[in-house]
Amino acid sequence: MSKIQEVKELVEGGKSKKVAAAVQKALEAGDKAQDILDAMVASMGVVGEKFSAGEIFVPEMLIAAKAMSKGVEELKPVMAGDSSSSLGTCIMGTVAGDLHDIGKNLVVMMLESAGFDMVDLGVDVPAERFVEAIKENDNVVLVACSGLLTTTMPALKEAVQTIKAAMPEMKVIVGGAPVTQEYADEIGADGYAPDAGSSAAKAKELIGA
Amino acid sequence: MLTAKQNLQETIKGGKPDRFVNQNEFLEFVFEAPMTSFCTGPGTEIEDEWGILWRWPEGQLGPFPVHDEEHKVIKDITEWKQYVKTPDHYKNPEAWIEAKEHVKQIDQNEKYITIMFFPGIFEMTHSLMGMEDALMALYEEPEAMHELIDWYTDYLLDYAKVLIEQIGPTAIYQHDDWGSQISTFMSPETFKEFFLPSYKKIFSFYKENGVELILHHSDSYAATLVPSMIEMGIDIWQGVMTTNNIPALIKEYGGKISFMGGIHSGEVDFPEWNEAIIKEHVDRICKKCGQLYFIPNLTQGADVSSFPGVYEAVTAEIDRISKEMF
Ligand code: B12
Repeated sequence: MSKIQEVKELVEGGKSKKVAAAVQKALEAGDKAQDILDAMVASMGVVGEKFSAGEIFVPEMLIAAKAMSKGVEELKPVMAGDSSSSLGTCIMGTVAGDLHDIGKNLVVMMLESAGFDMVDLGVDVPAERFVEAIKENDNVVLVACSGLLTTTMPALKEAVQTIKAAMPEMKVIVGGAPVTQEYADEIGADGYAPDAGSSAAKAKELIGA
Repeated sequence: MLTAKQNLQETIKGGKPDRFVNQNEFLEFVFEAPMTSFCTGPGTEIEDEWGILWRWPEGQLGPFPVHDEEHKVIKDITEWKQYVKTPDHYKNPEAWIEAKEHVKQIDQNEKYITIMFFPGIFEMTHSLMGMEDALMALYEEPEAMHELIDWYTDYLLDYAKVLIEQIGPTAIYQHDDWGSQISTFMSPETFKEFFLPSYKKIFSFYKENGVELILHHSDSYAATLVPSMIEMGIDIWQGVMTTNNIPALIKEYGGKISFMGGIHSGEVDFPEWNEAIIKEHVDRICKKCGQLYFIPNLTQGADVSSFPGVYEAVTAEIDRISKEMF
């Protein structure tokens, strides 16, 4: 098996304790850091698809994301200063009045694995905080808002509309169990994805990557 | 007319109920039984007997366990023994006085003496260390997770002994959310490995000691866990959401287990609720599921709603449709 293939399988299988060494070996064998990174991104794509299809579950996804981040740690010193692989910054948070964060965290991991620089604002995020964060950070290309309670759907709407009022060009993606494509359209969001697996593809599509 | 209890039995045994079992009418919750502490309202926080810090911020619908590095109870699952403490508040007979008074007043022809348990075994693991750590540990440190689960199982069994001695419940209503609306948190195999044996032990112990009915709450998708539910001895799965295809479940498993829920709290229990919305939801689910092995109920569980009047309005609509369908 090629060293890169091994890294890929370790990420898919969530073997976080073994990935770092495998990445080192791949580098020593002459593989380019960028190729190793691309392979890991592809692995997370597979993981996301399996999750969407119901073949794997939250724990498998968490350990795969953890394994990928261990691999990325190893690549960082080699790739320092090289930002060509970044898709830009994405701001994400759970909207005001809502404290659920498992779904949001999974989406953060998937978008990060896909190549976004993630800024996680946490939970119970007021609409204006999203706007402030867009201003405080460089190269923000996307805002992602999560809401899990039907009672916080108005807060999701407010978040989208506050962001759009301040920056009409900013792309906004929404999600969470009670959110539907129709609701996303109704409140003026640019995109929606039903689960973390499909969120990365949708996010990339929105920014034209 | 059958009593609420008889009507329930007819419904879950495939006999001849004379109306829908209306939500929790066959249960009398004895909330006075000693439980660990919980937040009392918005703006409060409390550290419970397990050391878990619960916070209920103003303006929020309910409390949340705090899981930053400082407040997680278990900071390293392999060292779990060093972090946990086991409450013994329930061992003091005085803690049971009020519950005993309550039990005396229950008409057992109508209702089951019911104890509601929170948290469930899975919920305990994530209350102690956060959902991510708990789920990853199932893979990364399975042995330590098994030990932790055994520790809590032993606690639940010790509690059960005292509970049976003190008040002799006839129904147990166990809370443990096992999934989101569209999937389970873990695969059915992982669930079987970690959670089935413990629940089987606990529920069998109850059944051997006077408990006639085991209800389990998980307001989620969990259709793939139904075989395990049956194996562990659950009589009624409460909280079943429509994402499960309830009519198909009734067809496949009716007689072995019954399904209670089908009316999504998220869709009817909100500030702008009205009777028309509730009627539509109640009608749809009752007509789809039919008279046997099904109990129409708000998915959230217990005999409450988040917004005043919703629970009662659902009860009234079930009464109405019972008259039409029976
Ligand atoms: C786990 C859970 C909790 C945990 C949360 C732990 C945590 N750290 O988040 C605890 C126990 C603490 C909790 C507390 C409460 N909860 Co809760 N909780 C749940 C539960 C069981 C699962 C939610 C979950 O984590 N799902 C798993 C993840 C992976 O799925 P997900 O969140 O849907 O996310 C996926 C997609 O939606 C999508 N996605 C999510 N966000 C985004 C964003 C974008 C941009 C995109 C593209 C995609 C996307 O991708 C994710 C991954 O695939 C649900 C039940 C259910 N059936 O959903 C109730 C539920 C959401 N909770 C509910 C309630 C009422 C509460 C409480 C008020 C309870 C109380 N009375 O104390 C408090 C809430 C306090 C608050 N203000 O928020 C209700 C909401 C009802 C309603 N009105 O809508 C539910 C539906 C249960 C019910 N009673 O019916 N809860």
